[in-house]
Amino acid sequence: MTRVRGVGVRTGWGEGVAALPADAVASAHGRRVIALARPALDGDRFRRATRECLLGVVAVEAMLRDAGLTRDVLSGSRTALVYVTAAAYGASNRLFVGADGASPARTEGGLIKEGSGSVRPGGGTLHFPYTAPSAVPAELAIEYSLRGGYVILVGGATAAIDALWQASTLLTSGRAERALVLAVETFAECEDLWARGRWAARGPLVEAAACALLDGAGDLAYGAVEEAAPLETLAARRAGETLACGPLIGLGLAREAGAAEARLTGHWRGRRTTVTLALCESRAPAH
Amino acid sequence: MVPVSEARLPAVAIVAAGVATPLGPDLDSYWSGLVTGVDAISGIERFPVGDLRVGRGGEIKKLAPLRHGAPPRCRASALLLHAADDLLSRAALTADRTRLAVVVGTALGGVEELERAMEEAPGPRVAAAALYDSPAHALAERLAARGPVITVSTACASGATAMGVGADLLNADAADLVVAGGYDVLCRFVMRGFDALRSLTRERVRPFDRRRSGLLLGEAAGLVLLARERDASSRLGRLLGHASSSDGSHIAAPDPEGRGLEHALRGAMAAAGVGARDVDFVSAHGTGTPLNDRIETAVLKRVLGARAYDVPVNSIKAALGHTMGAAATLEAIMCLLAARDRVVPSTLGYEEPDPACDLDYVPRVPRHVRTRVSLSTSLGFGGCNAVLVLEGGG
Repeated sequence: MTRVRGVGVRTGWGEGVAALPADAVASAHGRRVIALARPALDGDRFRRATRECLLGVVAVEAMLRDAGLTRDVLSGSRTALVYVTAAAYGASNRLFVGADGASPARTEGGLIKEGSGSVRPGGGTLHFPYTAPSAVPAELAIEYSLRGGYVILVGGATAAIDALWQASTLLTSGRAERALVLAVETFAECEDLWARGRWAARGPLVEAAACALLDGAGDLAYGAVEEAAPLETLAARRAGETLACGPLIGLGLAREAGAAEARLTGHWRGRRTTVTLALCESRAPAH
Repeated sequence: MVPVSEARLPAVAIVAAGVATPLGPDLDSYWSGLVTGVDAISGIERFPVGDLRVGRGGEIKKLAPLRHGAPPRCRASALLLHAADDLLSRAALTADRTRLAVVVGTALGGVEELERAMEEAPGPRVAAAALYDSPAHALAERLAARGPVITVSTACASGATAMGVGADLLNADAADLVVAGGYDVLCRFVMRGFDALRSLTRERVRPFDRRRSGLLLGEAAGLVLLARERDASSRLGRLLGHASSSDGSHIAAPDPEGRGLEHALRGAMAAAGVGARDVDFVSAHGTGTPLNDRIETAVLKRVLGARAYDVPVNSIKAALGHTMGAAATLEAIMCLLAARDRVVPSTLGYEEPDPACDLDYVPRVPRHVRTRVSLSTSLGFGGCNAVLVLEGGG
């Protein structure tokens, strides 16, 4: 069975699943969005990166700590990256739609010339590439020198289950030795739009970034189901609505409980799917 | 050289295809347009472009009525449903609907609906349509598909990634039939973005030509029906292998060395069990930007060796524009039709050779040649690379 080497979770409630309240609705005290601050990674390397890109990096760092691994293990062509989100491109898309009159960049030899073009929020030339869902995994791939299999899925918790299945497929077929599954969801900039779509996401909307490192190979139970698994219910009660991050937070909760195996389910737009993964022992020191 | 997976993948059958393109509203008109060298680039009429440097693209001027039901307000969904109509006119969906999956790729999703949502203070329906996965769900509803419904967004490689994920679903026995492909629409959002990046040319799109100066965008949808080999009684061709990779190099530009593309190319060929000598044709990403075409040429030479000079390499992006999420699927379909009819469409706009691009780019006229195994390469923002290995014929 595909194994989970490590899990990293950061939510609007804090670092790790230990920070999750017992009841997200009660702890929200009526707040519609529980936001995450922009992580303090702002060096030159990340000067253009969006908040959701940096949250992805933070989640991977947390996963590496949990697994007791260094970042070197991720680099190269044998680590696949599967990214999933339903909302994290929303902020940059909205900013871009709202801005007008970006000044064009100059190019040199087919490459964008650094420092050219306007840089005002949302209208800057180089803002446009950050409107793509691929921006978050791209920053991650650059940061960790990831060059293996690359899949980006868009959707809620169901897409996260699909992402875990896809990662397992890459491992089982021998196309990768490790697979990093990452989800990032941010809501603050599009709170009013999400409020109109209450059918899709019930509050509180909790911003989150979560990832898992998978390895091993074997048959995987994957498919549609009717009922929510206990971990789905638990993650929703404790974390709130985290869309694609939900199943990965469920993995973190299973790991915290010392489970050897986790059956995950996720629901989105009338469809619920399931996947079952084995859990390796956490290498992180107990809090 | 980076280590490459040696993993073999089972081939899957490509039973049929359906499209909606600026060259024509169905597979036959798309193919005849490619073979006869039709240029579908025109001035964009559907939204204001007067303030942009470039206001041309491969715009679909008119959509015929759908066979069933009213057209959705979301244009992205509408294009997908038109491609589905075309597909369903060529093949029946014989699977139990719980075993029918939908996997579609897109660079933009329903982002035009976000523009509308911000202008109109809309109700929940428009807000929901702004989600990237809404068109896939509209397609699944049209097909009554109750299996996996998956939206892939590896930028302009999305259509290839989606076909790969579809093949994986079949090989994992997670579905019995998969409708896979890609779509994207022209809208102000994407025109503004590429215009600001100065990626759009004011001239003609000229892939691999010495004078190439950029791309033009287009809108389209392309779908294929995938089935396991043993379940297909007839087929347009086969997907022999596929692979993807990330550049890990730049957020918007391809790796100057093309390492990610090379990795995906080698991985896809290994998955298909084909070597350089087996390759008869390459459908290149061929955007017509100075960097992309040079990188692709260099990578093809590294991977195929001397064989690279003997294989026709074409790009169809001058004919219909770069259709983003649809491009890879349309190009894969083109490979299969080329094998069926033994003719490779020419690279429209290619006239003057560039010393850095010194392969056989099928200039001026279509090439009457027998092709069996084809490679289709795709690259996208965020360092996304995806490669398909296709085999034509039933």
